[in-house]
Amino acid sequence: MIAQSLPPLALEARGLIAGYERDLPIVRGVNLSVRVGEFIVLLGPNGAGKSTLVKAIVGLVPIHEGAVLLNGDDITVAPPHQKIGRGLAFVPQTENIFTTLTIEDNLLLAADVIPKPVRARRIAELYAMFPDLAAQPSRPAKLLSGGQRQMLAVARALVVQPSLLILDEPSAGLSPKIVAEVFGRLKAINATGVTIVLVEQNVKAALAVAGRAIILVEGEARHEASALELADDPIIAELYLGAARARS
Amino acid sequence: MSPQVIVDGLVAGAMIGLGATGVTLTYSILRFANFAHGEFIAWGAYFALAVSGFLGALAPALTAPIGPFSFGWSLPIAALAAIALTAALALLVDALLFGSLRAKNSAIIIMVMASFGAALTLRNLLEFIFTSSPAYYAEGLQMALRFAGVRATPDALLCLVIAAIIVIALHAVIAHTAIGRAMRAVSENPQLAAIVGIDSRKIVRLVWILGAGLACLAGVMAGLIVQIRPTMGLDLLLPLFAAAILGGIGSAMGAMLGGLIIGLAESLTVALAGGEWRAAVAFVILVAILLLRPHGLFGRS
Repeated sequence: MIAQSLPPLALEARGLIAGYERDLPIVRGVNLSVRVGEFIVLLGPNGAGKSTLVKAIVGLVPIHEGAVLLNGDDITVAPPHQKIGRGLAFVPQTENIFTTLTIEDNLLLAADVIPKPVRARRIAELYAMFPDLAAQPSRPAKLLSGGQRQMLAVARALVVQPSLLILDEPSAGLSPKIVAEVFGRLKAINATGVTIVLVEQNVKAALAVAGRAIILVEGEARHEASALELADDPIIAELYLGAARARS
Repeated sequence: MSPQVIVDGLVAGAMIGLGATGVTLTYSILRFANFAHGEFIAWGAYFALAVSGFLGALAPALTAPIGPFSFGWSLPIAALAAIALTAALALLVDALLFGSLRAKNSAIIIMVMASFGAALTLRNLLEFIFTSSPAYYAEGLQMALRFAGVRATPDALLCLVIAAIIVIALHAVIAHTAIGRAMRAVSENPQLAAIVGIDSRKIVRLVWILGAGLACLAGVMAGLIVQIRPTMGLDLLLPLFAAAILGGIGSAMGAMLGGLIIGLAESLTVALAGGEWRAAVAFVILVAILLLRPHGLFGRS
Protein backbone atom coordinates (compact mmCIF):
# COMPACT_ATOMS: atom_id res chain seq x y z
CA MET A 1 0.00 0.00 0.00
CA ILE A 2 2.84 2.40 0.88
CA ALA A 3 4.67 1.65 -2.38
CA GLN A 4 1.61 2.69 -4.38
CA SER A 5 1.66 6.15 -2.89
CA LEU A 6 5.31 6.78 -3.80
CA PRO A 7 6.02 9.02 -6.78
CA PRO A 8 7.27 7.21 -9.92
CA LEU A 9 10.96 6.74 -10.55
CA ALA A 10 12.67 9.64 -12.30
CA LEU A 11 16.02 7.89 -12.60
CA GLU A 12 17.06 4.31 -12.15
CA ALA A 13 20.48 2.71 -12.51
CA ARG A 14 20.56 -1.07 -12.55
CA GLY A 15 23.84 -2.89 -11.90
CA LEU A 16 25.81 -0.12 -13.56
CA ILE A 17 29.43 -0.91 -14.40
CA ALA A 18 31.18 2.03 -16.03
CA GLY A 19 34.60 3.57 -16.57
CA TYR A 20 36.91 4.83 -19.27
CA GLU A 21 38.55 1.38 -19.58
CA ARG A 22 36.52 -1.83 -19.68
CA ASP A 23 39.15 -3.65 -17.63
CA LEU A 24 39.29 -0.94 -14.98
CA PRO A 25 35.71 0.01 -14.13
CA ILE A 26 35.36 2.87 -11.68
CA VAL A 27 31.65 2.32 -11.07
CA ARG A 28 31.21 -1.31 -10.04
CA GLY A 29 27.63 -2.45 -10.04
CA VAL A 30 25.70 0.56 -8.75
CA ASN A 31 21.95 0.33 -8.22
CA LEU A 32 20.27 3.67 -7.80
CA SER A 33 16.63 4.77 -7.63
CA VAL A 34 15.57 8.40 -7.57
CA ARG A 35 11.90 9.30 -7.39
CA VAL A 36 10.25 12.25 -9.10
CA GLY A 37 10.68 15.41 -7.05
CA GLU A 38 13.45 14.06 -4.84
CA PHE A 39 16.63 15.96 -3.98
CA ILE A 40 19.38 13.36 -3.69
CA VAL A 41 22.98 13.95 -2.76
CA LEU A 42 25.72 11.48 -3.73
CA LEU A 43 28.44 11.50 -1.12
CA GLY A 44 31.66 9.63 -0.71
CA PRO A 45 35.41 10.07 -0.39
CA ASN A 46 37.60 11.19 -3.27
CA GLY A 47 37.90 8.47 -5.89
CA ALA A 48 34.65 6.78 -4.84
CA GLY A 49 33.30 7.09 -8.38
CA LYS A 50 30.63 9.76 -7.79
CA SER A 51 31.54 11.93 -10.77
CA THR A 52 32.10 8.90 -12.99
CA LEU A 53 28.66 7.56 -12.04
CA VAL A 54 26.84 10.74 -13.05
CA LYS A 55 28.95 11.14 -16.18
CA ALA A 56 28.05 7.56 -17.15
CA ILE A 57 24.36 8.34 -16.60
CA VAL A 58 24.69 11.44 -18.80
CA GLY A 59 26.60 9.51 -21.47
CA LEU A 60 30.07 10.99 -21.11
CA VAL A 61 31.68 7.83 -19.70
CA PRO A 62 31.21 4.41 -21.35
CA ILE A 63 28.78 2.03 -19.62
CA HIS A 64 30.01 -1.56 -19.84
CA GLU A 65 27.15 -3.33 -18.09
CA GLY A 66 23.80 -2.46 -16.59
CA ALA A 67 21.09 -0.02 -17.58
CA VAL A 68 20.01 3.57 -17.01
CA LEU A 69 16.32 4.43 -17.10
CA LEU A 70 14.98 7.97 -17.26
CA ASN A 71 11.28 8.21 -16.40
CA GLY A 72 11.05 4.50 -17.23
CA ASP A 73 12.74 4.78 -20.66
CA ASP A 74 16.02 2.99 -21.26
CA ILE A 75 18.62 5.65 -22.11
CA THR A 76 21.72 3.50 -21.52
CA VAL A 77 23.12 3.83 -25.03
CA ALA A 78 21.60 7.20 -26.01
CA PRO A 79 24.28 9.79 -26.86
CA PRO A 80 24.47 12.82 -24.51
CA HIS A 81 22.92 15.25 -27.00
CA GLN A 82 19.75 13.15 -27.14
CA LYS A 83 19.35 12.88 -23.37
CA ILE A 84 18.78 16.61 -23.00
CA GLY A 85 15.68 16.26 -25.17
CA ARG A 86 14.38 13.58 -22.82
CA GLY A 87 14.52 15.87 -19.82
CA LEU A 88 17.99 15.19 -18.39
CA ALA A 89 20.21 18.21 -17.80
CA PHE A 90 23.74 18.07 -16.43
CA VAL A 91 26.03 20.68 -14.89
CA PRO A 92 29.66 19.45 -14.94
CA GLN A 93 32.05 20.41 -12.15
CA THR A 94 34.44 22.38 -14.34
CA GLU A 95 34.27 23.91 -17.81
CA ASN A 96 30.50 24.05 -17.47
CA ILE A 97 29.93 27.20 -19.52
CA PHE A 98 31.21 28.39 -22.89
CA THR A 99 33.67 31.09 -21.93
CA THR A 100 34.08 32.38 -25.49
CA LEU A 101 30.34 33.11 -25.72
CA THR A 102 28.35 35.82 -23.98
CA ILE A 103 25.89 35.06 -21.17
CA GLU A 104 23.02 35.41 -23.62
CA ASP A 105 24.67 33.17 -26.21
CA ASN A 106 25.22 30.48 -23.57
CA LEU A 107 21.49 30.51 -22.85
CA LEU A 108 20.46 30.81 -26.51
CA LEU A 109 22.65 27.84 -27.37
CA ALA A 110 20.83 25.71 -24.82
CA ALA A 111 17.50 27.10 -26.07
CA ASP A 112 18.14 25.87 -29.60
CA VAL A 113 16.71 22.47 -28.65
CA ILE A 114 13.36 23.85 -27.41
CA PRO A 115 10.56 25.10 -29.71
CA LYS A 116 11.28 28.55 -31.17
CA PRO A 117 8.11 30.30 -29.92
CA VAL A 118 8.93 29.59 -26.26
CA ARG A 119 12.65 30.38 -26.32
CA ALA A 120 12.45 34.10 -25.54
CA ARG A 121 9.90 33.53 -22.76
CA ARG A 122 12.02 30.80 -21.20
CA ILE A 123 15.16 32.94 -21.21
CA ALA A 124 13.20 35.84 -19.70
CA GLU A 125 12.03 33.50 -16.92
CA LEU A 126 15.62 32.49 -16.23
CA TYR A 127 16.78 36.10 -16.18
CA ALA A 128 14.05 36.71 -13.58
CA MET A 129 15.36 33.74 -11.59
CA PHE A 130 19.00 34.85 -11.92
CA PRO A 131 19.01 38.69 -11.88
CA ASP A 132 22.82 38.81 -11.86
CA LEU A 133 22.81 37.34 -15.36
CA ALA A 134 20.01 39.61 -16.58
CA ALA A 135 22.03 42.68 -15.65
CA GLN A 136 24.71 41.95 -18.23
CA PRO A 137 23.49 39.58 -20.96
CA SER A 138 26.11 40.62 -23.51
CA ARG A 139 29.01 40.15 -21.10
CA PRO A 140 31.52 37.50 -22.22
CA ALA A 141 31.17 34.52 -19.88
CA LYS A 142 34.93 34.39 -19.33
CA LEU A 143 34.66 37.62 -17.31
CA LEU A 144 32.22 36.16 -14.76
CA SER A 145 33.18 35.32 -11.17
CA GLY A 146 33.15 31.72 -9.93
CA GLY A 147 29.70 32.10 -8.39
CA GLN A 148 28.27 33.80 -11.46
CA ARG A 149 29.69 31.02 -13.64
CA GLN A 150 27.91 28.40 -11.55
CA MET A 151 24.69 30.41 -11.75
CA LEU A 152 25.04 30.62 -15.53
CA ALA A 153 25.77 26.88 -15.72
CA VAL A 154 22.64 26.11 -13.69
CA ALA A 155 20.56 28.58 -15.69
CA ARG A 156 21.89 27.05 -18.92
CA ALA A 157 20.85 23.60 -17.71
CA LEU A 158 17.38 24.86 -16.75
CA VAL A 159 16.63 26.40 -20.16
CA VAL A 160 15.12 23.13 -21.39
CA GLN A 161 12.95 22.79 -18.27
CA PRO A 162 14.49 19.42 -17.37
CA SER A 163 12.65 16.88 -15.26
CA LEU A 164 15.98 15.74 -13.80
CA LEU A 165 18.93 18.02 -13.03
CA ILE A 166 22.28 16.43 -12.19
CA LEU A 167 25.06 18.62 -10.79
CA ASP A 168 28.67 17.60 -10.20
CA GLU A 169 30.11 19.48 -7.23
CA PRO A 170 28.71 22.94 -7.93
CA SER A 171 30.30 24.22 -4.70
CA ALA A 172 33.87 23.49 -5.84
CA GLY A 173 36.05 26.57 -5.51
CA LEU A 174 33.29 28.81 -4.18
CA SER A 175 33.24 30.77 -0.91
CA PRO A 176 30.81 29.55 1.80
CA LYS A 177 28.53 32.53 1.16
CA ILE A 178 28.26 31.77 -2.55
CA VAL A 179 27.82 28.04 -1.83
CA ALA A 180 24.85 28.90 0.40
CA GLU A 181 23.40 31.04 -2.41
CA VAL A 182 23.88 28.33 -5.05
CA PHE A 183 22.38 25.63 -2.81
CA GLY A 184 19.49 27.92 -1.89
CA ARG A 185 18.73 28.26 -5.60
CA LEU A 186 18.91 24.50 -6.03
CA LYS A 187 16.44 24.02 -3.20
CA ALA A 188 14.09 26.53 -4.83
CA ILE A 189 14.46 24.76 -8.20
CA ASN A 190 13.67 21.43 -6.54
CA ALA A 191 10.58 23.02 -4.98
CA THR A 192 9.26 23.68 -8.50
CA GLY A 193 9.18 19.91 -9.11
CA VAL A 194 12.59 19.36 -10.73
CA THR A 195 14.27 16.18 -9.45
CA ILE A 196 17.86 16.88 -8.41
CA VAL A 197 20.86 14.60 -8.08
CA LEU A 198 23.80 16.41 -6.55
CA VAL A 199 27.35 15.09 -6.29
CA GLU A 200 29.08 16.85 -3.43
CA GLN A 201 32.18 16.94 -1.25
CA ASN A 202 30.73 19.74 0.85
CA VAL A 203 28.81 17.32 3.04
CA LYS A 204 27.36 19.77 5.55
CA ALA A 205 25.95 22.15 2.97
CA ALA A 206 24.64 19.31 0.80
CA LEU A 207 22.88 17.50 3.64
CA ALA A 208 21.24 20.78 4.64
CA VAL A 209 19.37 21.00 1.31
CA ALA A 210 19.01 17.37 0.16
CA GLY A 211 16.25 15.01 1.21
CA ARG A 212 18.17 11.76 0.88
CA ALA A 213 21.84 10.85 0.66
CA ILE A 214 23.53 7.93 -1.04
CA ILE A 215 27.10 7.09 -0.10
CA LEU A 216 29.44 5.67 -2.71
CA VAL A 217 32.63 3.89 -1.72
CA GLU A 218 35.02 2.26 -4.19
CA GLY A 219 32.49 2.42 -6.97
CA GLU A 220 29.63 0.87 -5.02
CA ALA A 221 26.57 2.37 -3.36
CA ARG A 222 27.23 1.29 0.24
CA HIS A 223 24.64 3.16 2.23
CA GLU A 224 21.65 5.41 1.87
CA ALA A 225 19.64 7.34 4.39
CA SER A 226 17.65 10.49 4.79
CA ALA A 227 19.84 13.58 4.90
CA LEU A 228 18.63 14.32 8.41
CA GLU A 229 19.63 10.88 9.69
CA LEU A 230 23.01 11.03 8.02
CA ALA A 231 23.79 14.52 9.27
CA ASP A 232 23.49 13.23 12.83
CA ASP A 233 25.24 9.91 12.30
CA PRO A 234 28.85 10.18 13.48
CA ILE A 235 29.65 6.55 12.67
CA ILE A 236 28.65 6.89 9.03
CA ALA A 237 30.53 10.16 8.78
CA GLU A 238 33.63 8.58 10.26
CA LEU A 239 33.42 5.49 8.09
CA TYR A 240 32.67 6.98 4.71
CA LEU A 241 33.27 10.68 4.62
CA GLY A 242 36.51 11.00 6.55
CA ALA A 243 38.40 14.04 5.45
CA ALA A 244 35.44 15.47 3.59
CA ARG A 245 33.48 15.65 6.85
CA ALA A 246 36.41 17.25 8.63
CA ARG A 247 36.77 19.88 5.89
CA SER A 248 33.15 20.88 6.01
CA MET B 1 55.68 49.62 -51.70
CA SER B 2 54.34 50.49 -55.15
CA PRO B 3 50.58 50.33 -55.81
CA GLN B 4 51.17 47.45 -58.25
CA VAL B 5 52.88 45.38 -55.54
CA ILE B 6 49.91 46.04 -53.25
CA VAL B 7 47.33 44.97 -55.85
CA ASP B 8 49.29 41.83 -56.78
CA GLY B 9 49.67 41.00 -53.09
CA LEU B 10 45.99 41.52 -52.35
CA VAL B 11 44.89 39.28 -55.23
CA ALA B 12 47.25 36.47 -54.18
CA GLY B 13 46.35 37.10 -50.53
CA ALA B 14 42.61 36.82 -51.16
CA MET B 15 43.15 33.40 -52.70
CA ILE B 16 45.34 32.30 -49.78
CA GLY B 17 42.88 33.80 -47.32
CA LEU B 18 39.94 31.91 -48.76
CA GLY B 19 41.81 28.61 -48.51
CA ALA B 20 43.05 29.52 -45.01
CA THR B 21 39.47 30.20 -43.91
CA GLY B 22 38.67 26.57 -44.69
CA VAL B 23 41.80 25.44 -42.84
CA THR B 24 40.94 27.48 -39.76
CA LEU B 25 37.36 26.18 -39.65
CA THR B 26 38.30 22.52 -39.94
CA TYR B 27 41.23 22.93 -37.54
CA SER B 28 39.09 24.59 -34.86
CA ILE B 29 36.36 21.93 -34.94
CA LEU B 30 38.26 18.75 -35.85
CA ARG B 31 41.31 19.74 -33.78
CA PHE B 32 43.99 18.54 -36.15
CA ALA B 33 45.96 20.09 -38.99
CA ASN B 34 44.48 18.59 -42.14
CA PHE B 35 47.33 18.43 -44.63
CA ALA B 36 44.91 17.13 -47.26
CA HIS B 37 43.22 20.55 -47.39
CA GLY B 38 45.50 21.60 -50.24
CA GLU B 39 44.27 18.59 -52.20
CA PHE B 40 40.67 19.77 -51.82
CA ILE B 41 41.84 23.01 -53.46
CA ALA B 42 43.33 21.10 -56.40
CA TRP B 43 40.39 18.71 -56.70
CA GLY B 44 38.00 21.67 -56.59
CA ALA B 45 39.88 23.33 -59.44
CA TYR B 46 39.86 20.13 -61.52
CA PHE B 47 36.20 19.40 -60.76
CA ALA B 48 35.37 22.88 -62.09
CA LEU B 49 37.62 22.26 -65.13
CA ALA B 50 35.93 18.95 -65.91
CA VAL B 51 32.38 20.25 -65.45
CA SER B 52 33.00 23.47 -67.42
CA GLY B 53 34.63 21.41 -70.19
CA PHE B 54 31.60 19.14 -70.23
CA LEU B 55 29.20 22.10 -70.29
CA GLY B 56 31.26 23.75 -73.03
CA ALA B 57 31.07 20.61 -75.16
CA LEU B 58 27.34 20.37 -74.51
CA ALA B 59 26.54 24.03 -75.20
CA PRO B 60 29.48 25.91 -76.80
CA ALA B 61 27.66 29.23 -76.29
CA LEU B 62 28.34 28.89 -72.56
CA THR B 63 32.08 29.32 -73.16
CA ALA B 64 31.69 32.77 -74.73
CA PRO B 65 33.41 35.26 -72.37
CA ILE B 66 31.15 37.23 -70.05
CA GLY B 67 31.88 40.96 -70.44
CA PRO B 68 35.52 41.74 -69.64
CA PHE B 69 36.19 38.35 -68.04
CA SER B 70 38.15 35.49 -69.61
CA PHE B 71 35.49 32.85 -69.00
CA GLY B 72 31.94 32.12 -70.03
CA TRP B 73 28.91 31.08 -67.98
CA SER B 74 30.15 27.50 -68.04
CA LEU B 75 32.72 28.34 -65.33
CA PRO B 76 30.44 29.90 -62.66
CA ILE B 77 27.98 27.03 -63.14
CA ALA B 78 30.84 24.52 -63.01
CA ALA B 79 32.23 26.21 -59.89
CA LEU B 80 28.92 25.68 -58.08
CA ALA B 81 28.88 22.02 -59.11
CA ALA B 82 32.55 21.71 -58.11
CA ILE B 83 31.78 23.07 -54.64
CA ALA B 84 29.20 20.31 -54.17
CA LEU B 85 31.58 17.67 -55.57
CA THR B 86 34.51 18.80 -53.40
CA ALA B 87 32.25 18.81 -50.32
CA ALA B 88 31.16 15.27 -51.23
CA LEU B 89 34.82 14.26 -51.61
CA ALA B 90 35.65 15.70 -48.17
CA LEU B 91 32.71 13.84 -46.61
CA LEU B 92 33.86 10.65 -48.33
CA VAL B 93 37.42 11.03 -47.01
CA ASP B 94 36.00 11.71 -43.55
CA ALA B 95 33.73 8.66 -43.70
CA LEU B 96 36.52 6.38 -44.94
CA LEU B 97 39.41 7.72 -42.89
CA PHE B 98 39.06 10.46 -40.28
CA GLY B 99 35.65 9.37 -38.98
CA SER B 100 36.86 5.91 -38.03
CA LEU B 101 39.98 7.37 -36.40
CA ARG B 102 37.80 9.79 -34.40
CA ALA B 103 35.61 6.90 -33.28
CA LYS B 104 38.73 5.21 -31.88
CA ASN B 105 39.73 8.44 -30.10
CA SER B 106 42.97 8.44 -32.09
CA ALA B 107 45.74 10.81 -31.07
CA ILE B 108 46.10 14.06 -33.00
CA ILE B 109 49.39 12.93 -34.52
CA ILE B 110 47.62 9.88 -35.99
CA MET B 111 45.01 12.16 -37.58
CA VAL B 112 47.75 14.41 -38.98
CA MET B 113 49.66 11.43 -40.40
CA ALA B 114 46.44 10.09 -41.89
CA SER B 115 45.87 13.46 -43.56
CA PHE B 116 49.36 13.21 -45.09
CA GLY B 117 48.39 9.82 -46.49
CA ALA B 118 45.09 11.17 -47.79
CA ALA B 119 46.94 14.10 -49.40
CA LEU B 120 49.38 11.80 -51.21
CA THR B 121 46.57 9.55 -52.44
CA LEU B 122 44.37 12.41 -53.61
CA ARG B 123 47.26 14.22 -55.34
CA ASN B 124 48.49 11.16 -57.18
CA LEU B 125 44.98 10.22 -58.17
CA LEU B 126 44.55 13.68 -59.65
CA GLU B 127 47.80 13.37 -61.59
CA PHE B 128 46.75 9.91 -62.78
CA ILE B 129 43.41 11.19 -64.08
CA PHE B 130 44.39 14.61 -65.46
CA THR B 131 48.21 14.20 -66.01
CA SER B 132 50.67 16.71 -64.57
CA SER B 133 50.40 19.13 -67.52
CA PRO B 134 49.05 22.54 -66.53
CA ALA B 135 45.49 23.33 -67.60
CA TYR B 136 43.49 26.56 -67.95
CA TYR B 137 39.83 27.51 -67.73
CA ALA B 138 40.21 29.79 -70.76
CA GLU B 139 42.95 29.87 -73.36
CA GLY B 140 42.51 33.43 -74.61
CA LEU B 141 44.61 36.35 -73.38
CA GLN B 142 42.90 38.83 -71.13
CA MET B 143 43.65 42.55 -71.26
CA ALA B 144 44.52 44.05 -67.90
CA LEU B 145 42.63 47.12 -66.72
CA ARG B 146 44.72 50.17 -65.89
CA PHE B 147 43.94 52.71 -63.22
CA ALA B 148 46.32 55.09 -61.44
CA GLY B 149 49.32 53.30 -62.89
CA VAL B 150 48.18 49.92 -61.62
CA ARG B 151 47.31 46.95 -63.80
CA ALA B 152 44.95 44.17 -62.83
CA THR B 153 42.90 41.72 -64.88
CA PRO B 154 39.12 41.75 -64.44
CA ASP B 155 39.37 38.09 -63.34
CA ALA B 156 41.72 39.03 -60.50
CA LEU B 157 39.51 41.90 -59.37
CA LEU B 158 36.47 39.63 -59.45
CA CYS B 159 38.31 37.11 -57.27
CA LEU B 160 39.09 39.87 -54.76
CA VAL B 161 35.43 40.91 -54.58
CA ILE B 162 34.15 37.32 -54.29
CA ALA B 163 36.67 36.51 -51.54
CA ALA B 164 35.65 39.62 -49.58
CA ILE B 165 31.92 38.84 -49.88
CA ILE B 166 32.36 35.21 -48.87
CA VAL B 167 34.51 35.94 -45.83
CA ILE B 168 32.17 38.68 -44.59
CA ALA B 169 29.17 36.36 -45.09
CA LEU B 170 30.96 33.51 -43.32
CA HIS B 171 31.92 35.76 -40.43
CA ALA B 172 28.28 36.88 -40.13
CA VAL B 173 27.08 33.26 -40.09
CA ILE B 174 29.60 32.24 -37.44
CA ALA B 175 29.04 35.32 -35.27
CA HIS B 176 25.29 35.82 -35.51
CA THR B 177 23.44 32.60 -36.30
CA ALA B 178 22.42 29.58 -34.26
CA ILE B 179 24.53 27.25 -36.39
CA GLY B 180 27.54 29.57 -35.98
CA ARG B 181 26.97 29.59 -32.22
CA ALA B 182 26.86 25.79 -32.23
CA MET B 183 30.10 25.69 -34.25
CA ARG B 184 31.82 28.00 -31.77
CA ALA B 185 30.52 25.88 -28.89
CA VAL B 186 31.81 22.62 -30.38
CA SER B 187 35.12 24.33 -31.12
CA GLU B 188 35.51 25.45 -27.50
CA ASN B 189 34.25 22.37 -25.66
CA PRO B 190 32.81 19.42 -27.63
CA GLN B 191 31.80 17.53 -24.47
CA LEU B 192 29.85 20.44 -23.03
CA ALA B 193 28.32 21.07 -26.45
CA ALA B 194 26.99 17.50 -26.43
CA ILE B 195 25.48 18.01 -22.97
CA VAL B 196 23.78 21.16 -24.21
CA GLY B 197 22.15 19.12 -26.95
CA ILE B 198 24.38 19.75 -29.97
CA ASP B 199 25.00 16.75 -32.22
CA SER B 200 28.70 17.28 -32.90
CA ARG B 201 28.57 14.83 -35.85
CA LYS B 202 26.29 17.27 -37.69
CA ILE B 203 28.66 20.13 -36.96
CA VAL B 204 31.64 18.07 -38.16
CA ARG B 205 29.82 17.32 -41.43
CA LEU B 206 28.90 20.98 -41.87
CA VAL B 207 32.50 22.03 -41.27
CA TRP B 208 33.78 19.57 -43.88
CA ILE B 209 31.25 20.95 -46.36
CA LEU B 210 32.18 24.57 -45.60
CA GLY B 211 35.92 23.89 -45.56
CA ALA B 212 35.86 21.93 -48.80
CA GLY B 213 33.57 24.49 -50.46
CA LEU B 214 35.97 27.30 -49.56
CA ALA B 215 38.93 25.18 -50.73
CA CYS B 216 37.17 24.60 -54.04
CA LEU B 217 36.60 28.32 -54.54
CA ALA B 218 40.23 29.04 -53.71
CA GLY B 219 41.21 26.38 -56.26
CA VAL B 220 39.01 27.89 -58.97
CA MET B 221 40.49 31.32 -58.24
CA ALA B 222 44.04 29.97 -58.35
CA GLY B 223 43.19 28.23 -61.63
CA LEU B 224 41.75 31.43 -63.03
CA ILE B 225 44.60 33.71 -61.96
CA VAL B 226 47.56 31.33 -62.33
CA GLN B 227 46.99 27.82 -63.72
CA ILE B 228 45.59 24.43 -62.74
CA ARG B 229 48.10 21.75 -61.73
CA PRO B 230 47.79 18.64 -59.54
CA THR B 231 50.39 20.11 -57.16
CA MET B 232 48.67 23.51 -56.85
CA GLY B 233 47.27 22.58 -53.43
CA LEU B 234 50.61 21.35 -52.16
CA ASP B 235 52.26 24.62 -53.24
CA LEU B 236 49.60 26.60 -51.35
CA LEU B 237 49.69 24.49 -48.19
CA LEU B 238 52.39 26.40 -46.28
CA PRO B 239 50.90 29.86 -47.03
CA LEU B 240 47.44 28.52 -46.03
CA PHE B 241 48.58 27.25 -42.64
CA ALA B 242 50.72 30.34 -42.06
CA ALA B 243 47.67 32.53 -42.78
CA ALA B 244 45.33 30.46 -40.59
CA ILE B 245 47.76 30.52 -37.65
CA LEU B 246 48.60 34.19 -38.19
CA GLY B 247 44.91 35.07 -38.11
CA GLY B 248 44.23 32.88 -35.08
CA ILE B 249 42.67 29.41 -35.33
CA GLY B 250 38.89 29.63 -35.50
CA SER B 251 38.69 33.18 -36.86
CA ALA B 252 37.42 33.46 -40.45
CA MET B 253 38.22 37.17 -40.64
CA GLY B 254 41.61 36.47 -39.08
CA ALA B 255 42.40 33.84 -41.72
CA MET B 256 41.49 36.25 -44.50
CA LEU B 257 43.57 39.02 -42.93
CA GLY B 258 46.42 36.51 -42.47
CA GLY B 259 46.10 35.55 -46.14
CA LEU B 260 46.23 39.19 -47.24
CA ILE B 261 49.29 39.84 -45.05
CA ILE B 262 51.08 36.81 -46.50
CA GLY B 263 50.04 37.74 -50.05
CA LEU B 264 51.35 41.28 -49.57
CA ALA B 265 54.56 40.04 -47.92
CA GLU B 266 55.15 37.60 -50.79
CA SER B 267 54.48 40.30 -53.38
CA LEU B 268 56.83 42.73 -51.64
CA THR B 269 59.55 40.11 -51.30
CA VAL B 270 59.33 39.21 -54.99
CA ALA B 271 59.60 42.91 -55.90
CA LEU B 272 62.55 43.55 -53.60
CA ALA B 273 64.51 40.29 -53.51
CA GLY B 274 63.32 38.22 -56.47
CA GLY B 275 60.83 35.43 -57.16
CA GLU B 276 63.04 32.69 -55.69
CA TRP B 277 62.37 34.07 -52.19
CA ARG B 278 58.57 33.87 -52.46
CA ALA B 279 58.33 30.39 -50.93
CA ALA B 280 60.37 31.44 -47.89
CA VAL B 281 57.99 34.25 -46.89
CA ALA B 282 55.16 32.10 -45.49
CA PHE B 283 57.66 29.93 -43.66
CA VAL B 284 59.35 32.90 -41.99
CA ILE B 285 55.99 34.39 -41.00
CA LEU B 286 54.82 31.02 -39.65
CA VAL B 287 57.93 30.61 -37.49
CA ALA B 288 57.72 34.22 -36.29
CA ILE B 289 54.04 33.99 -35.30
CA LEU B 290 54.56 30.66 -33.52
CA LEU B 291 57.41 32.18 -31.53
CA LEU B 292 55.89 35.58 -30.80
CA ARG B 293 52.10 35.12 -30.71
CA PRO B 294 51.12 31.45 -31.09
CA HIS B 295 47.39 32.19 -30.76
CA GLY B 296 47.59 34.55 -33.72
CA LEU B 297 46.03 37.95 -34.24
CA PHE B 298 42.44 37.04 -33.31
CA GLY B 299 42.74 33.59 -31.74
CA ARG B 300 42.13 32.51 -28.16
CA SER B 301 45.24 32.46 -25.98
